[in-house]
Amino acid sequence: MRSRAAIPALLALLALAFLASLAFGELRLSFGQVLAALQGGGDDIARTVVRDFRLPRALVGMAVGAALGASGVVMQAFFRNPLASPGLLGVSSGGALGAVAVLALGPLLGFASAAIWVLPLASTAGAFAATGAVLMLAQRGAGTERLLLSGVALNALLGAGTSFLLTTTAGHFEVNAQILFWLMGGLESRSWEHVWMGGPPILAACLLLLPLGRAMDLLSLGEQSAQSLGVDVRRLRFQLVLLSTILTALATAVAGMVGFVGLVVPHVLRLAFGPDHRRLLPYSMLGGAAFLLACDLVTRVFPMGLRLGVVTALIGGPFFLWLLRRPR
Amino acid sequence: MTAPALQTTSLAVLGRLEPVSLELGPGELVALVGPNGAGKSTLIQALAGLLPAQGTIQWNGQSLSRILMPDRGRRLAWVGQEALFEFAFPVREVVAQGRYAWGDDLSGVAEALAELDLTHLADRPATRLSGGERHRVGLARALATLAPIQLWDEPVAQLDVRHALEVMRLARRLADAGGTVLVSLHDLRAAYRFDRVLVLDRGRLVGNGRPHDVLTAPLIREVFRVEATFVESLVPELPPG
Repeated sequence: MRSRAAIPALLALLALAFLASLAFGELRLSFGQVLAALQGGGDDIARTVVRDFRLPRALVGMAVGAALGASGVVMQAFFRNPLASPGLLGVSSGGALGAVAVLALGPLLGFASAAIWVLPLASTAGAFAATGAVLMLAQRGAGTERLLLSGVALNALLGAGTSFLLTTTAGHFEVNAQILFWLMGGLESRSWEHVWMGGPPILAACLLLLPLGRAMDLLSLGEQSAQSLGVDVRRLRFQLVLLSTILTALATAVAGMVGFVGLVVPHVLRLAFGPDHRRLLPYSMLGGAAFLLACDLVTRVFPMGLRLGVVTALIGGPFFLWLLRRPR
Repeated sequence: MTAPALQTTSLAVLGRLEPVSLELGPGELVALVGPNGAGKSTLIQALAGLLPAQGTIQWNGQSLSRILMPDRGRRLAWVGQEALFEFAFPVREVVAQGRYAWGDDLSGVAEALAELDLTHLADRPATRLSGGERHRVGLARALATLAPIQLWDEPVAQLDVRHALEVMRLARRLADAGGTVLVSLHDLRAAYRFDRVLVLDRGRLVGNGRPHDVLTAPLIREVFRVEATFVESLVPELPPG
């Protein structure tokens, strides 16, 4: 496929998914009504639905998708493995455990998680604690393989913690439901607060990533060769882990654990347009945003309790299996 | 007097390389030989600044620790023993990575491709190459850096006879043009054609000098545990020109 057409094509997909996100739902609106509502016109109900409910939800979805797409590209270049994903170093399971811990223990300790920023904060703290732990575990030399194995171990540990909290709260249906929301991800009842919490920092991290694309090309073909060609590998690796952690942590903080976006999106785009990271990074941000909005639409159009994380996994899981079977 | 291109004082890597002090001058073509596990790759990586090491390293009289990263990429090129490419970059783009430290201009890329007989493979994904072809891509990328110091770790081990000879001729030409070329290899007979030979044995530098002075039958027996005799046989050569 010609890469010149990529940006317009991805932008068109994103615009379509965005408009559809504003139009579909319990109240079906026409694109004309959506556009009128965006400009402050139309009837009151449509305007409220679009501007107060669907617009923040769509914006959060775009930010989360872009963050996970970019983070996936980074992890794959970092580990020189097209099967790496944003959660590999335990970032998302750390974020989930942080949020779940607040949900499960908050009532016992006497503070409610009512404030809208409590959960995202706990989640971000958990994500950074997890990454910090991985980096410390793998510190001396911090070789790629040790990082990877430390991430696997930590993921198991954090997952066990989350499962434990889930079982201890088994009788409390409301708490349980909230925990499940975190573990399967979702964009329900996302508000403008979530947009302001996630959007600007995700945008900033994405912009900071873009200039690193060329160095990522070299890194993806070997650390030593990259360094011999003039890349400051230590610094680059630090920048990549930091930015990818920020992106994944924020995505988890505002939308819970959403799997497979970071794996599937970069992979499809790499197959279509080649591995050049200067292009793959922006493509994956746009593609991730469009993919996430599309998956969120599925959860709304089929209102049988399909969760966002379930939809992305329903599409991502079979793709992953196909990927593993393909001769490399 | 010009400074040596590469100079080390008691360069050592814990558990792998005992202190080595040596000087390699501009215009020198140097072979590095030794049995498996003798420390050849370790020495080459340490010289390239790719390993934490004790002692000092100087490139052109300047301490390595004071040379900034992009500048290092312009002054020394390293080709590793393993040439694995995980992502399907076309050959031309892999070679063009040699220009990273030069702000990604493309000068010398086409020449490097031609030099390593890769022009016809330029658009092929690097993941779909044979082992020998991948090694030639690695060499072409190093050549594209135009770095005056070239360190090649077993560049010809996987190459066919003709391409191996072409790589050796390329090494000679770079040295004749004033470069410093250090090549590790297992073919002791090929080492006789170098200006100088370094011999490593179990992490120690046990030979450093002109090939006929260093690669004697006793040293070969001691280091490689084989008997060496002079023989007459067909020796492959590139046709003149």
